[in-house]
Amino acid sequence: MAGFRRWTIGTVALVAAALSAGSAWAQDVVRIGAPLPLTGPLAPEAIKQQQGYNLWAELANKAGGISIGGKKYKVEIVYSDYQSNTPRAVQATEQLITQEKVDLMFGPFGSGAAKAASSVSERYKMPTIAASASSVQVYDQGYKYLFGTFTPNDTLTTPLTELIKAKAPDVKRIAILARNDLFPLAIAQEMEQSAKKNGLDVAYFEKYAIGTLDHSATLSQIKSLAPQWIFVTGYINDLLLVRKQMVDQQIKAAVVTMIAGPAYQEFIDGAGPSAENVTSASWWHPAEQYESKDIFGSTANFVKLFREKYKSEPDYGQASAAVSGALFQLALERAGSLDKEKVREALATMDVVTFFGPIKFGPTGQVNSLEPPVFQIQNKKPVVLFPAPIKQGELKLGVD
Amino acid sequence: MLAAQVLINALVLGCLYACIAIGFSLVWGVLNVINLIHGSFVVLGAYLAWGLYQSIGLSPWYALPVAAVLFFGLGYAVQRLLLNRVITAPVLVTLTLTFGLDLILNNAMLYFFKADYRKLILVPPMGSVSVLGVVVPVDRLMATALALALTFILYLILRRTRVGRAIIAVRLDRDAAVLMGVDVRNIYAVAFGLGAALAGTAGVLMALIFPISPLTSDGYLGKAFVVCVLGGLGSVSGALVGGLFLALIEGVGTTFLGPDHATTLSFVLLIVFLIVRPQGLLGRKGFE
Repeated sequence: MAGFRRWTIGTVALVAAALSAGSAWAQDVVRIGAPLPLTGPLAPEAIKQQQGYNLWAELANKAGGISIGGKKYKVEIVYSDYQSNTPRAVQATEQLITQEKVDLMFGPFGSGAAKAASSVSERYKMPTIAASASSVQVYDQGYKYLFGTFTPNDTLTTPLTELIKAKAPDVKRIAILARNDLFPLAIAQEMEQSAKKNGLDVAYFEKYAIGTLDHSATLSQIKSLAPQWIFVTGYINDLLLVRKQMVDQQIKAAVVTMIAGPAYQEFIDGAGPSAENVTSASWWHPAEQYESKDIFGSTANFVKLFREKYKSEPDYGQASAAVSGALFQLALERAGSLDKEKVREALATMDVVTFFGPIKFGPTGQVNSLEPPVFQIQNKKPVVLFPAPIKQGELKLGVD
Repeated sequence: MLAAQVLINALVLGCLYACIAIGFSLVWGVLNVINLIHGSFVVLGAYLAWGLYQSIGLSPWYALPVAAVLFFGLGYAVQRLLLNRVITAPVLVTLTLTFGLDLILNNAMLYFFKADYRKLILVPPMGSVSVLGVVVPVDRLMATALALALTFILYLILRRTRVGRAIIAVRLDRDAAVLMGVDVRNIYAVAFGLGAALAGTAGVLMALIFPISPLTSDGYLGKAFVVCVLGGLGSVSGALVGGLFLALIEGVGTTFLGPDHATTLSFVLLIVFLIVRPQGLLGRKGFE
């Protein structure tokens, strides 16, 4: 019994010592809140984003931390799982700000949740970077504290259409099939506008419901219209299913574009030979070559570090998360303080080349300086077709 | 030509739906258990097919009997060890239990397999056959054949075998069956085992057609539910008729109203059936 008591007292003393040490540390830590859908249907996307944040935080801490006003601060990212449930993302944001008392915030995943949560962080004047929100509707609310690393959706569809128009003048008719969801539908609508602007005939434009198990009737109808360009939006599972059913029904077209699956290795593995010649566009690609001012130093170095840690190729989701952290670091260093107004000011006036590309936030807070790449799957690898400085190959026609 | 293609699409899709629903219908009809693990069983069957093909190159056709045996054992054990303890309780209790089990199984799959979407890609692919300009994918044709075969086998089991008659007897009148010397607990377990075996074999086929992820289980469960209500509970051929009917509605709905409204249409139909004809197209309460 006495032994037990001694043991207990010893443990309590140890814990107390550890706690007080922890609080001494806590003064030199920058805490950043990160609400993410770590479980539920969006979990795969959230894990990518988490990988990006962690890679940056580890690198920053390995270098001794962020130097703010001549003092080094360690980085701590405080995660909160909102279980793929948007209302909970709003609660999680509020909780991180009021109870966890974080210094800065990352936005939740995707345009819908980022928009919902932004009203909370704006109320608390909390500088927030959304790493995966592209839709203009997120940024046009007149908010001052929200910043985003994705350019608007039309910056993906416009270069794509211009490229196809230049390289494949025979493509005249397009069929568009969109997942009825905020981002996939928004980008399909941009595509429709961009196609019309470039004189293409939009022969088919339809939405499919989230969770659709079968596209055969839709695809039969598209086949009967004989479009030269088939444009499908959705997430990996939708796009794998549509691609498989296109092969099943022997649907061929000069150009098949899918957004946002082909940027991921999973799509190339899952679609197998049928991934060949599928075109897509995204906000970033590992082939980009920027010498940068951020902690990563260059795109090549980011890719190298990522490969070492996760044994896989980074895609735009992970890169955007990592650059969001790196941008906070730059802003903190420039502001020289943790004062939210000063950090906001530093972000708003930021004009810097990062491994993600040149970053300058427009008046709404959304980045407007990036040139997103168009790419095509060739020999099981994504090959960049545009923009010219990082081009790796020529557009190949014919998907069957 | 488009009409013919849409019709053929609907026929093969209907059989696919029947494949998914048939085990669910059996368990609901015979045990009066709304088995919410069904969708996860289908997904687990798909992972089994994928795993066997990736690791030892076993063709999904040989994986079918493997899945049938393994899932029968799994289903038998689940019923014998867990569900039998609450089988006489109101339907909400068994529903809650299967809901809980589904959460466990689904999250276990998320943990072990991750949420990544995978695809079983046969080398060489099975491709499609084309007759007079109407294209039918071979894997779906196989699924159609399997759905018909499973329906027929289940019919034979329920009609011709001692166990089958015992299952029907228990369904019709549990107390009388007990008095006749039927081991009710065993029969329940056999029926649930059969349901699981049907889910597992359906899963093997789904691996050829759909991307595989634990997240897809709700989709399968939803379709099984609608098919059973349309076709009629506890009727073996009901699943087939319900599946075909649903696929036809979705196909026609997609063609004329657009794909976005096909699902709406099928659920409106579900509500209409629940109000007007709750026993479904072929359901006769209490009979096979």
